[in-house]
Amino acid sequence: MPDTEWPRYEVFKQDRPNRPHEAVGTVHAPDPEMALLNARDVFVRRPACHSLWVAPQDQVLTMTALEMELNPAWAEETVPEDAPVRTFHVFTRQHQRRTMVAATHVGQIQARTHREALRKALEQGEFTDRPVYLWMIVPADAITGSREEDVESLFRPAEEKHYRDQSYYSGRVFDKKALKRREREVA
Amino acid sequence: MSAFPRTPNTRPLPNVGLPTDPDYEQRLAEFEARIEAGEKIEPGDWMPYEYWRQLVRMISQHAHSEVVGMLPEGAWITRAPSLRRKLILLAKVQDEAGHGQYLYHAVETLGVDRGTLIHQLLEGKAKYSSVFNYPTLTWADVAMIGWLVDGAAIKNQTMLAHCSYGPYSRAMVRICAEETFHYKQGKEAITLYAQGTPRQRRWAQDALDRWWWPALMMFGPHDKDSPNTPALMRWKIKTKSNDTLRQEFVNEIIPELMAVGLEIPDPDLRYDEETGNWLIGPIDWAEFWQVIRGNGLMNQARMAARRQAHEEGQWVREAVEAYARRHQARQAPEKIAA
Repeated sequence: MPDTEWPRYEVFKQDRPNRPHEAVGTVHAPDPEMALLNARDVFVRRPACHSLWVAPQDQVLTMTALEMELNPAWAEETVPEDAPVRTFHVFTRQHQRRTMVAATHVGQIQARTHREALRKALEQGEFTDRPVYLWMIVPADAITGSREEDVESLFRPAEEKHYRDQSYYSGRVFDKKALKRREREVA
Repeated sequence: MSAFPRTPNTRPLPNVGLPTDPDYEQRLAEFEARIEAGEKIEPGDWMPYEYWRQLVRMISQHAHSEVVGMLPEGAWITRAPSLRRKLILLAKVQDEAGHGQYLYHAVETLGVDRGTLIHQLLEGKAKYSSVFNYPTLTWADVAMIGWLVDGAAIKNQTMLAHCSYGPYSRAMVRICAEETFHYKQGKEAITLYAQGTPRQRRWAQDALDRWWWPALMMFGPHDKDSPNTPALMRWKIKTKSNDTLRQEFVNEIIPELMAVGLEIPDPDLRYDEETGNWLIGPIDWAEFWQVIRGNGLMNQARMAARRQAHEEGQWVREAVEAYARRHQARQAPEKIAA
């Protein structure tokens, strides 16, 4: 069998319920189910995570403000009249701070194509209260997500592994007795 | 496509500008103004060819270093001195695998496939940090790697978190948050040995003797011998030079190593009252270049181990693909429509 590359999936992680999903990076996998498992291993070795979404990258439209400015033709397309209206999730980056996520979920929009969703988002101004530097448009039907009942098996185990956190070592590094005690704790 | 074209004859991505483009000078001025203003350059944004080339070169080497970096320590997972140490080491090696993935993702945003990069590594055509071509002889080496090598890596990565390229900066922020645990567990383990039996103290000192200079070489050649530095600094790919970072690192770590009773293996080491700097003796750059060129103690063994792991994983990849095919044939994957 040829050693070819598997399709790439964008990964969106939700740290806690009622927090937005955030674009954290990509994984490669032969199908969405494996993409979800790979995403868990790559992006959730530590808490917190409540939900993960994966979507094939070729079904995600990513655009920067500069890209749109330099190529105004991005918005031009012929949309078939009978194309069905779908739900698109909208992610934006609206700051220049140092963070570990590319874009944050800000809402949904009904449209027939990715570009139509982006045009509507710009026209309606609902997501552009501050400048948007980066857009990600993800059709809802391209997303495979972890389910509520997966939380226990996918994300909970990492919560017990305190030794993965730097805070576990704080202030005790030079305390020999504490070290010996903690060696015994797991033995 | 080739990952490292040497001359800008072909445009690797539509948004990469070539010096021959009619609007190149104007775009370059705008690009540099954005960087000067502290803005991040995102995938899809206009960027000059040389910025693209330097990022592909640096991030791919960094990704490969994370992957190869699993090997020296991975060799000790079965020989960890306690269950707790085994759990910690397993978690650390898993992190390095994940860090490699974050970084391959960052290179992919520049249009270079993960498969291409992994192929280059397996072919022995890719560079990675020379420090991983030294052997891990005792458990104290594993501990010393955590404290020294990860300590040096964090210094570099904290600087790179300020990188002007968004995806590289984000990978660095994520890595630094996790890597601090690597450094602290190493410091804890060495501290324990340095206060332990005479044999444990001997192991700790021996590990420092062997890892000290390779760790200092991780920061790369002196600024005067680093041809890439001016471009990297001008475009804020790097925000501090090799020598600056190396000096910051020795100033921080020397007092800590001394505090646990270890001796720095440098007869020329002295403290400069005036500047507050620890001044180290000459670094053996001949050794550095030998290791980079593939003649280190473990270069061959590292590549052999990586290739073996890849080949032995072949059946797993095939099984996963077969599962995916069968699964797709039976039922459409469960979708959510939030």
